[in-house]
Amino acid sequence: MTMLLNHASHGDGIGYSFAQPTAAPVQQHSFYPYTDNGGSTLGITGSDFAILAGDTRSTSGYNINSRMAPKVFKIGGDDETGEGAQIVLSVVGFAADGNALKERLDNIVKMYKYKHGKPMSVSACAQRLSTILYEKRFFPITYTRFWEGKGALYSYDPVGSYEREQCRAAGAASSLITPFLDNQVNFKNQYVPGSGEGHALEPKKAEPLSRSTAEGLVRDAFTSAVERHIEVGDYLQLVTITKDGIEEAFQPLKKD
Amino acid sequence: MDKLVAQYSRPAHQNEFHSDPEQQDLDSGLPPLSLKFALPPVDNHASFLRAMTDDHSNPSCPIKLAHGTTTLAFRFQGGIIVCTDSRATAGNWIASQTVKKVIPVSRLSRGEDKPSKDPTPGLLGTMAGGAADCQYWLRYLSQQCTLHEIRHKRRITVAAASKILANLTYAYKGYGLSMGTMLAGVTPQEGPALYYIDSDGTRLPGNLFCVGSGQTFAYGVLDANYKYDLTEQEALDLGRRAILAAMHRDAYSGGFINCYHVTEAGWVHHGFDDMNPIFWKTKLDHGEFSNVTSEL
Amino acid sequence: MPGFDFSNYNRNAALHAKGVPLPKATSTGTTIVGCIYDKGVVIAADTRATVGPIVADKNCEKLHYIAPKIWCAGAGTAADTEFTTALISSNIELHSLSTGRDPRVITCMTMLKQHLFRYQGHIGAYLVVAGVDPTGVGLYTVHAHGSTDKLPYVTMGSGSLAAMSVFESTWQPDLDREGAISLCAEAIKAGIFNDLGSGSNVDVCVIEKDKPTQLLRNYEKPNPRGEKERNYRFPKGTTAWLNQRVISKEDMKKYVTIETLSGDGNLAVGEQMDVDV
Repeated sequence: MTMLLNHASHGDGIGYSFAQPTAAPVQQHSFYPYTDNGGSTLGITGSDFAILAGDTRSTSGYNINSRMAPKVFKIGGDDETGEGAQIVLSVVGFAADGNALKERLDNIVKMYKYKHGKPMSVSACAQRLSTILYEKRFFPITYTRFWEGKGALYSYDPVGSYEREQCRAAGAASSLITPFLDNQVNFKNQYVPGSGEGHALEPKKAEPLSRSTAEGLVRDAFTSAVERHIEVGDYLQLVTITKDGIEEAFQPLKKD
Repeated sequence: MDKLVAQYSRPAHQNEFHSDPEQQDLDSGLPPLSLKFALPPVDNHASFLRAMTDDHSNPSCPIKLAHGTTTLAFRFQGGIIVCTDSRATAGNWIASQTVKKVIPVSRLSRGEDKPSKDPTPGLLGTMAGGAADCQYWLRYLSQQCTLHEIRHKRRITVAAASKILANLTYAYKGYGLSMGTMLAGVTPQEGPALYYIDSDGTRLPGNLFCVGSGQTFAYGVLDANYKYDLTEQEALDLGRRAILAAMHRDAYSGGFINCYHVTEAGWVHHGFDDMNPIFWKTKLDHGEFSNVTSEL
Repeated sequence: MPGFDFSNYNRNAALHAKGVPLPKATSTGTTIVGCIYDKGVVIAADTRATVGPIVADKNCEKLHYIAPKIWCAGAGTAADTEFTTALISSNIELHSLSTGRDPRVITCMTMLKQHLFRYQGHIGAYLVVAGVDPTGVGLYTVHAHGSTDKLPYVTMGSGSLAAMSVFESTWQPDLDREGAISLCAEAIKAGIFNDLGSGSNVDVCVIEKDKPTQLLRNYEKPNPRGEKERNYRFPKGTTAWLNQRVISKEDMKKYVTIETLSGDGNLAVGEQMDVDV
């Protein structure tokens, strides 16, 4: 009882009905430029294609800003429709930063083509994106991870560390989708039944996926993410990049 | 704390690098030390950055950067062995299990790893701490080394290369960079040379270093079994075994064991191998790790 | 001592001040509504329970029994709504036995508000109380801090604004039973689709004088799960193991009683569970 009384006399004890200022573990800043618009994206590459997919919901708090805000962008196309593009970029986190980044990379890729008379290679574009992000090292701008593709898939952290990968999930539901991909794309924790006794049991070997398998996995990943994550939903944007160009398709997801 | 940081950090480093006319002479034609970094519109950017990105002091920070590592490098009679794990973590989340933490530095050896048995000329850098910091600044270093090579018609020494990096990290001291890097190379002037450079501005030459959250585990194995007279195979095995010990006990290390051997001719890649089969092989063939039970 | 145990309060406050995050309670970031009609009252709720941004339960039940003709829809902290309504339900039952009369809705509402006010909002229960008693039809909202409202149509929870927009645009004073049910269902659906905290199905409860109370569980299911394209059945032997131990039924019988149930049909199943196939 003494403890309780002491505590109350400090003035921060049992609450009033107003929101209590909680003792913050770090210095409080009034300047807080980060907002999360939710959503998730997912990329898988196969031998001759790359898929980038994302939901089209944009959220803030418990509200839906838009049910149709695509977050997979074509980079370096010939006109505003993105026709003729070879590279796509997807950004999750704060949508305004994502859009600014897309515009910037688009400009860079276009200027490269005008200056050099040939399209920018994906590896060059990947490195350039890393440098763009690192310019904001002391003021990291975009909340999460982005990536890009054209048979190749690169993923980035907020300040530009990047890596070429076979598959990657990012955004709100990444922690739900990534274990699924580990298991179904790289066959982690799967063994070939009857291939041996004890330690001789052989792990299931990962092979390049066919396009239909990869698309099936992407759709299943999203219909499942929608079930368990409130910020994912509305529509699935599926962008497939092959040597023949970019195909884009939308399909409905749950809207609750 | 912030006052201290402010006191000891330099507000403008242009002067640091260009005050000396001789230095300016050397650098003319170079772009300035990439000082176009955006800064947040607050008084104290160091503490702003820390509040937003340091998941140790603020577990709910909005931006989680990739961290956590075990890397090691040591000199022996046959050159230098460099070994790393491959895990990147952001808070408690494993961001990647396939990070290449050994970064080739210098013009000729830059780029993708080609599956080649021939040594590739150049230095090797390792990556611990912030992944983006290491990637960016080792790339910058690579650029400087290449320019050095063009200007002076000979490859840069490891001492000089490491000093470029150390000067750089010292100039940015207090800004929140996070890197613990080792530079390894064999040059005609120095022989096998190994340096440790970190984001505090430390630069140390040495025979044997382990860096990262799993460094203590790796040191334990390395110190117990290290001799200068190891054969190449023994040295590679010891490097792998030390990384394996760290991956086994440090939650922030894991994935694949990445192994390199550096000689005067250049570096040779000795595999990027899943730790799991190696672990079981070590346990079953050598009877180690008896704490892990298996009746099979 | 009955009631709450505060012995860890100071420790938790100190830990929180040091930056240890508080444990997350499952909250029913929710849409709940209620609406009266000529002979009775309807309450309805969505069925999503969340922990932060993760859906903890896709088909939970937010309509709670208080008395045969008094029901309660709960929003806020799931545990608080469940235990508060269960506690008041028990007290109402005892009260009704001691007075020998049917319980009144206003009694239930008063007991709830007094209980919640005593705990100054720390019990995070936001309730819609509805029922029919000898004095007529009752419909109230009770906030976690103890304030109450009495209105012909009410909404609460994170989806309350979305749901209220339906009531404000389409409610009429002379609703019949079917009209009230469909209006409440429409209001819940507005919450399900426009509020991220609400989702899945619509539960409805209809209470009318001289008629048995109807709990229309999953009255509407507007969000069926998307078909899975691929098959995720693992062949037997896919998982590796390090150690195995087989315990025979005979060995188990030394420690527990074993009864064999017939496996066919639903006879052996105690309670059916919702599972994704």
